[in-house]
Amino acid sequence: MKERLRRFVVRVGAMSAKEVLHIQRDPRTLYLALVMPVVLLLLFGYGVSFDLDRMPLAVADADRTRASRELVNAFVEPGEFALARELATPEEAGALFRRGKALAALVVPRDYERDLSRGDRVELQLLVDGADPVSANQVLSKADAIVRAVSQARAAAAGFVGQPPLQVDIWTRYNPEGRSAVFFVPGLAAYLMAIGAVLLTALTVAGEWERGSMEQLFASPVGRLEIILGKLLPYLALGMLQLLLVLGVGTTAFDVPVRGSPVLIFVLGLLFLVSMLGQGLLISVVTKNQLVATQAGALSSLIPSLLLSGMVFPIENMPLPLRMLSRVIPARYLVHGLRGTLLKGNGLAEVWTDLAALAVIGLLVLALATRRFKRRLA
Amino acid sequence: MTDGPSIEAVGLTRRFGDFTAVDRVFFEVSRGEIFGYLGANGAGKSTTIRMLTGLLTPTSGEARVAGYDVATSPESVKASIGYMSQKFSLYLDLPVWENLLFFGGAYGLWGDALKVRAGEILELTGLVDFRGATTGSLPGGIRQRLALGCAILHRPGVVFLDEPTAGVDPVARRRFWKLIRELSAAGTTVFVTTHYLDEAEYCRRIGLMADGRLVALDTPAALKRAWVPDRVLVARGRNLLVAAAALAARPGVAAAEPFGAGLHVRVSPDRWDAASVRAALGAAGASDVQVEEAEPSLEDVFLAVVGRPQTAPVEAGP
Repeated sequence: MKERLRRFVVRVGAMSAKEVLHIQRDPRTLYLALVMPVVLLLLFGYGVSFDLDRMPLAVADADRTRASRELVNAFVEPGEFALARELATPEEAGALFRRGKALAALVVPRDYERDLSRGDRVELQLLVDGADPVSANQVLSKADAIVRAVSQARAAAAGFVGQPPLQVDIWTRYNPEGRSAVFFVPGLAAYLMAIGAVLLTALTVAGEWERGSMEQLFASPVGRLEIILGKLLPYLALGMLQLLLVLGVGTTAFDVPVRGSPVLIFVLGLLFLVSMLGQGLLISVVTKNQLVATQAGALSSLIPSLLLSGMVFPIENMPLPLRMLSRVIPARYLVHGLRGTLLKGNGLAEVWTDLAALAVIGLLVLALATRRFKRRLA
Repeated sequence: MTDGPSIEAVGLTRRFGDFTAVDRVFFEVSRGEIFGYLGANGAGKSTTIRMLTGLLTPTSGEARVAGYDVATSPESVKASIGYMSQKFSLYLDLPVWENLLFFGGAYGLWGDALKVRAGEILELTGLVDFRGATTGSLPGGIRQRLALGCAILHRPGVVFLDEPTAGVDPVARRRFWKLIRELSAAGTTVFVTTHYLDEAEYCRRIGLMADGRLVALDTPAALKRAWVPDRVLVARGRNLLVAAAALAARPGVAAAEPFGAGLHVRVSPDRWDAASVRAALGAAGASDVQVEEAEPSLEDVFLAVVGRPQTAPVEAGP
């Protein structure tokens, strides 16, 4: 028994050592796995931000009084909006929107100051370019907040004492500044690990079929579990390194908090990787061809991890069929679990469902791949 | 596994759907023997090897290799054989030395024992100078020796070589066969398939496959005697081509075909000899004719065997 175990370890070790050599010999693999995540993370972090500031605002001020100038300043001075152009009439806004020179236009009516000082009801108009809903929403919420602040300040100045009859306090927890980095680092980790794990395993196993060396391996005493373990272990290590890298850059460059247990994060990443490696293995066992395996691997890891994981689009808003489909996407559980542990400090009590789902999917996929992986040729 | 044959096939058969790739094959290979397995493409050579190495399950019949049944204990078979597949599948991106270490590890060798053995293989195959070279940068003949080295690292009692010399130049082929003879002299059984009929002369015995059947099995000399009863003569001289047609039309002449600069003539030994052929060629217009007796080649045997109508499979032992 001891001798059998020793041989098992020797053979798995030989497979893994060979795989590590392959990776060393082809620096593109390492580049794909380790440099790309950092580049993407920095791109997302600095370039692709969902937080908008200095949104270009056109102003059509028909009043041109001290009060109207104060209102415009309240929009422009904190840096939320930037004055793009003064308009003579509101109709000019359309042309600006079409050329992308402004996202919104503020229309101040004639007699704004007079009506305001009389205590009359004043209507402001905000024209918004709705072509990009994300930006339009930000314009609306920020403009709303500014106008609310201005009218409260005026009410106080006019000697209005006491609380307004209805007041809503919004208190955003976990990510109070609404920074996108905090939100997308877990998603990005899932996305990058998914691509790396599925593509690299699919390629390496399909490569053995194409080269004909799989037949050579089958004619040796190396068992299929030994082939699978030997192939997967180096990529498991590489995947964990990716997770560490993404989290490292996320915490240092973008102040992503790590409130939960690092061990839990480690286990989440490990279970996720096992299911993604299993998926890559299954693909290569079925296709036995590097080209087809690459396409199937990219398609089956990239798109679901990006679209169905909740990384970009909230799962709650999806139609029922997509919501059901997202349940078998491992990235969904990693994103959910990582957000919980990183941002909320969730422990095992909250994260166990994600862990369990990942474990079940991983075991199923690996079992299926091992079953399909016949050590005989026909 | 000291007594009994190294390889034993008893009615070994493999079907793929309606197609019978290997049809009731019987043979035995004794320890240390070089056994050549010949046949055209698709004759069933590789299928036979794959059954003997435990890669394919036989549809019917049985086979024992190194004392183990290939159908019931393929794992024991795999541990005691070496196999070099058709496109010797080395890892071309790795150096020679790493290929040896990997295949050694795959057979359970490790540590110092593995390094010592891999060093021995480098010596044996004459690859010491190529130790650190990337395998993909080496010519076919050297890769082929490395592939053989990888197949014998674990000192298997039986080695299966599936077309090991395909696409390798003649000098490298000769060197490779020298290695095979050394292995055999040291007691290793070698089962080898090949396209090259000149190589088959190195084998102690030859099995000839045609359409999945083993149609002939014997030593090269015995095969020639049995399958080419004709007298084989080589004629040289001038205007032979014109005379050849006339000679071929005479009774008792099986063939008169151009062969290099001369003429390859197969005649019935009862009716013809060197002198009468020379006279007949001279009468038909050739001049300066010289005729010599020649040994029939395995090519003659192969053509005779493949060209004849199929009969029942041959059942033969060593």
